[in-house]
Amino acid sequence: MKNIIEMKDLVKKFGPFTAVDKINISVKEGEIFGFLGPNGAGKTTTISMLTTLIKPTSGKALVAGHDIVTEGVDVRSVIGVVPQQFSLFQELTAEENLVYIGRLYGMSRPAIKERSDYLLKIMSLYDARNRIAGVFSGGMKQRLSLAAGIMSKPKILFMDEPTTGLDPQSRIAIRELTKKLNSEGMTIVYTTHDMDEAEKICDRITIMDKGKVVADGTSEELKHKIASHHEIEIEFEELSADILAALKKLPFVVSLSHQGDIINLTVKERKNVFFMLSSFLNKRNQKVVEIKFKEPSLEDVFIQLTKKDLRDG
Amino acid sequence: MKRSTARAEEKEVLLDFRKMGAIVRKNFIVMTRDPIRLIPLLVFPIIMILVFGYISGNTPKHISTAIVPYDNSELSQDIQQEISNSETFTVNHVVSTEDEARRLLDEGKVRVIVVIPANFEDNVKRGVQQGITVIVDESDSSVAATSKQGLMGIISKVSSKISIQKITSFQHSVGTATMKLQQDDRSHVNLYGPIAEKLAPAEVYMNSEKKMSDQEVKALLASSTSLHLYAPYHDTTLLDENNTWQATPIGYDAQEAQKGAAMQSSYLMGSAISEVHAATMVARQADSQAISAASYNNYKKNVAAPLQTINVFTQYDANSMLTPVVYEEKAAYGTGKRAIDFVIPSIIALTIFQGAVMGMGRSIAGEKKDGSLTRVFLTPTSNVTIIIGTLSFYTLFETIRATFLIIISIIFFNIKIEGSLLLIGLIILIYASISVALGMAISSMVKTEQQFMAMAMLISMPSMFLAGALFPLQAMPKFMQVLAQFLPVTYAGDALRGVMIKGFSIGYIIYPLAVLLLFLAIVLGIVFMVFKRDIE
Repeated sequence: MKNIIEMKDLVKKFGPFTAVDKINISVKEGEIFGFLGPNGAGKTTTISMLTTLIKPTSGKALVAGHDIVTEGVDVRSVIGVVPQQFSLFQELTAEENLVYIGRLYGMSRPAIKERSDYLLKIMSLYDARNRIAGVFSGGMKQRLSLAAGIMSKPKILFMDEPTTGLDPQSRIAIRELTKKLNSEGMTIVYTTHDMDEAEKICDRITIMDKGKVVADGTSEELKHKIASHHEIEIEFEELSADILAALKKLPFVVSLSHQGDIINLTVKERKNVFFMLSSFLNKRNQKVVEIKFKEPSLEDVFIQLTKKDLRDG
Repeated sequence: MKRSTARAEEKEVLLDFRKMGAIVRKNFIVMTRDPIRLIPLLVFPIIMILVFGYISGNTPKHISTAIVPYDNSELSQDIQQEISNSETFTVNHVVSTEDEARRLLDEGKVRVIVVIPANFEDNVKRGVQQGITVIVDESDSSVAATSKQGLMGIISKVSSKISIQKITSFQHSVGTATMKLQQDDRSHVNLYGPIAEKLAPAEVYMNSEKKMSDQEVKALLASSTSLHLYAPYHDTTLLDENNTWQATPIGYDAQEAQKGAAMQSSYLMGSAISEVHAATMVARQADSQAISAASYNNYKKNVAAPLQTINVFTQYDANSMLTPVVYEEKAAYGTGKRAIDFVIPSIIALTIFQGAVMGMGRSIAGEKKDGSLTRVFLTPTSNVTIIIGTLSFYTLFETIRATFLIIISIIFFNIKIEGSLLLIGLIILIYASISVALGMAISSMVKTEQQFMAMAMLISMPSMFLAGALFPLQAMPKFMQVLAQFLPVTYAGDALRGVMIKGFSIGYIIYPLAVLLLFLAIVLGIVFMVFKRDIE
């Protein structure tokens, strides 16, 4: 599959602050590309650049083959955006909003009517089409925002945290719609906080932190990347300081922490670890309640890479 | 997908009218969806008119004035001097016709015209009451009132000066005449003296106890006859209606004299004496009449001139004697213009400005803040289309609002529109564009509506007070008047007032219109410069 978005040493500085620092990311045509990172990582700035809202300080990016700086109009013609913030006209009805957006894309009136009816239906907003968008619930607003984003049948859809702040049902609805659109051939750039969500719908994921790409790949690849570090949880009946000190000295142990009678070990390799630990514990006659390997989640990957919790920012 | 690609291939359309139409339509919906927002927009100007329409400001000074002296006499110059000396007026034009002066008034170069009529001084001297015509630009109630008051004062001052002069001169004439008459009385006595002297012998005789000899009587008669010859009889009507001397002798002397002579021999001395006495009485009467005639000639010579003056005065109208010069007012434009008529255009200009500038806060800064402008930026719509589309809507809206205001003015304030509605529309359109563009420029430069409000205040506050709608500009310090020259509201007010109230055609408002267009060009230039798609 060819790359539909290509970024080359893309930089964005706001005064002395570097929001995006020389990133090189490609998005393949037809995929759902996940953009992960804590707040302030530079995701939204990157999306703003790709959607021509702001100009990069340096570097280059092509969206569907169009330069984001010199061919802004062409870029805008092939993309759709569901911004982080609800950005439609509160005073307009759902339908009027879609008609307005359609007009701004230069669509004909019959085409607008057809498209907006279709979108209002699939977004379950048809019955509410004559209601003012300002009074919509968060989920309705987001569905309307999505409808507006794909009004012009874009090749690429940028979705900036589309499910943030929504109830589980609305999240599921948005996710389902995203998958549906993708299955129809739309490339989707999806920004999210939700690791679970990213894991569920994204084909590939890029993790950003402090303006830099810290990792990318499929969710499995990412997990594998930190698979060199495995966590093992051991619950003792009674943990002694001697044992703790002895465990620390073990060659395969990278780090160790404990809480009460439970210790958490990070080890380099999974291979033979269980056996070695068993014999070590047996030798010292330690009674163990439970010993288990912890399967790394994307969240662990994230924390491992960014050294911070996702939602802390 | 096909469609959007197709659109993209059209490349950037600098000004997409269909998209512009969509922007206009969207703004219209937004505006009408929120009627609460409309209420203050429409009510505000009415309050402005009511509250400020009647506010009186400071006393204006140095009101530019044109004088039309159809008479160049000393008196006329005195009046001009008097006006020049006053602090209220600055005479910057002395023109030869009223039309010329009216043109200056139309162009706004002068606010007051003073017309001094032809033959002014002559007429004043002849006792014909003269009016000095004052034409005041009513556009500024305070300026108009001050001008009228000031000129009334000056004219009344001049008038009473002339009046005092006239009365003094009258008194002088009467005095002279009285004096002459008194002198004449004395000359009358003097004239009478010698005659009485001549008559003395007869008196002596008449009063003597002793009998006179014939010889003595004869001598007496001789002297008496000489008197007879000297004094012919005259009709008692000495003057005719034209005051010309009527010397019509009636019956005379010779017979009487001979009669007397004949008597001397044939009648008794006593009767002769009584005859002489009678003759003497007749002579005396005749003499006195003759003296009167002579003295009248003399009197006429001495008293006629002062009497003539008095006579002229008596023919004067008492009014012209008391107020030889009166203040007369002529309407500058049509009749019955009130202060409110002139305030309305400024209020409209001000309202358009305030409304447009303030409205743009929501339009760009607000939409920027809530992201809806971002949404527009995400579409392949050019800046020019967005700017012109937004401008179009608000310009249209402000034009409609101004129309509404004019209708309100007609209904509530009985305003009569004198000029072309089309021209009014044109001015409003240009002016609304400027105001909207200015608001848009500010809106584009700031990040939030709050910032916008602060910035907009900076511009709209001076406009409010320097527009001349609330306070007369001429009552303000010079630097403020200069500052006002940099505000579009000044020109829009002038142009609107010109057409609405003065009924000007386009030719008369070329200057403000040209300045407005210049403003529009500059402000639009600024908008295109500061309107950034970059939403950093």
